[in-house]
Amino acid sequence: MKQAISKLLLLGLAAGLATPALADDEEVIKYRKNVMKAYGAHMAAAGAIVQGKVKGSLVGHARAMEATTKNMAAMFPAGSDFGETNALDTVWSKRADFEKRAKDTEAKAAAFAKAAGGSDAAAKFRELSDSCKACHKDYRKEQK
Amino acid sequence: MLRRVMLLGLLCAGSSLAAGPDPVAGQYLFRAAGCENCHTDREHGGAWLAGGRELLTPLGVFYSPNITPDPDTGIGRWREADFLRAMRHGRGPDGRHYYPSFPYAAYTRLSDADLRALWAYLRSVPPVRQANRPHELPWYLKYRALLAGWKLLYFKPGPYTPEPGKGASWNRGAYLVQAAGHCGECHTPRNRLGGFRIGLYLAGDKAGAEGGVVPNITPDPKTGIGRWSRGELIDYLKTGMRPDGDFAGGLMAEVIDNGLKHLSQQDLEAIATYLQSVPPVEHAVRKPKPKPTRDEFGY
Ligand code: HEC
Ligand code: HEC
Ligand code: HEC
Repeated sequence: MKQAISKLLLLGLAAGLATPALADDEEVIKYRKNVMKAYGAHMAAAGAIVQGKVKGSLVGHARAMEATTKNMAAMFPAGSDFGETNALDTVWSKRADFEKRAKDTEAKAAAFAKAAGGSDAAAKFRELSDSCKACHKDYRKEQK
Repeated sequence: MLRRVMLLGLLCAGSSLAAGPDPVAGQYLFRAAGCENCHTDREHGGAWLAGGRELLTPLGVFYSPNITPDPDTGIGRWREADFLRAMRHGRGPDGRHYYPSFPYAAYTRLSDADLRALWAYLRSVPPVRQANRPHELPWYLKYRALLAGWKLLYFKPGPYTPEPGKGASWNRGAYLVQAAGHCGECHTPRNRLGGFRIGLYLAGDKAGAEGGVVPNITPDPKTGIGRWSRGELIDYLKTGMRPDGDFAGGLMAEVIDNGLKHLSQQDLEAIATYLQSVPPVEHAVRKPKPKPTRDEFGY
């Protein structure tokens, strides 16, 4: 139950972002960077477990990834292309492909969450990693 | 697995014995050298190795040529000697000089055996008929003869010569970084004449390839990758994951996807050994990250 509520909250947040009421562009940019940083932190932590550098459970990290990658594209509403952002113009000009990338990551995160307790976890972690890199390849560039 | 072992075996054979040029070893080198990145117009779904990729540089726009074996629009009529001359000396079969946007200043360091293997591999790829597109350059840069001057200043042809005092792994790493991977082509900043800036080897470029930031990859702890462990560096080269869990993007994601992730563990270790040994240079190219303020997070 608790989980369902937090899931709803999350979905609500992500969906809410797309509506103009919440969409102060600067805040949206800050927000999505923080979400991306959270992905990074979970991926780095999970990677350490996958590689056997530390002992621990992947389940929490994988679930967090699954929950927070839902509706990723909504973090990039029209108008949030200007300012302190490394998102490329192609995020908006090639929207259909961008959304496909976001959906791919969502699917890979869900698959990772499903496999997290089992022997397939490392492979699913790598597929998720490749999916992060695939979107950054075309849609992010560090600006000077 | 078996293929890996075979491949390694072939590679070793290729460099020590005078075995015939081998397309499998050639493919390995082709990947390490990232030929596909420039010679395929991925953004517009262009045919593999048929060229047409736009390369934005401060000098103008270059369009990579077709390097498939098509006789009319590609390099199908070339002989091995033409290819060796292009890679080693930056000159076409008709004698014209190439622009350094084709990184032959790095590829000239490749060994004869590797260049021959690469040629054997390029002969084996599917030919594609696609005419080359002319570069878009200011008029004064259209005279290729001027490139002789650039070469005199900045180009020293000839294969890599191993440094005796260093180990085999270090030398292999130096070879992969300097000759094949041409890492410095992006990671070393240039002066206005297009020569590398002295003392900033691999120290990053604020407005580098295609206008983005190319990070400092010297072992400087503040502005480079000096705080990365050896394992983290190898992991980045293999998967694109940085120690903070961020993932490589842009041109580096291509370098990894089409190249580095196909290299053997041994070769990635060699690259790490070499990179961690180059002189650390303090050279900040990234924007300083704003420190999170207390009121933003409240902790
Ligand atoms: C659908 C495209 C897409 C996917 C998938 C994606 N990212 Fe990103 N990521 C971006 C874009 C675009 C930016 C730049 C955001 C900005 O600056 O506004 C970014 C930025 C980042 C940043 C830097 C944030 C900052 O502090 O500036 C990190 C870290 C990151 N992503 C990690 C990840 C991880 C880990 C994954 C995989 C779980 C991932 N990303 C998946 C598009 C994507
Ligand atoms: C950084 C981008 C880049 C990379 C990487 C690159 N090339 Fe090129 N290449 C070019 C450009 C640009 C030209 C055209 C130069 C000119 O017109 O002077 C070119 C020209 C050539 C030519 C001459 C073709 C002709 O019709 O005259 C050959 C052959 C070639 N490249 C092969 C390769 C091989 C093999 C590799 C990998 C080992 C490679 N290139 C990697 C950009 C690149
Ligand atoms: C075509 C240009 C290009 C070439 C060639 C290239 N790089 Fe990069 N490299 C980049 C860019 C751009 C980035 C930043 C990636 C990003 O924004 O995520 C980068 C990032 C890196 C990083 C991560 C540094 C950090 O602080 O995040 C390392 C390590 C690295 N490159 C090593 C190499 C090595 C080793 C080679 C040669 C085998 C190489 N690169 C060749 C363009 C290049």
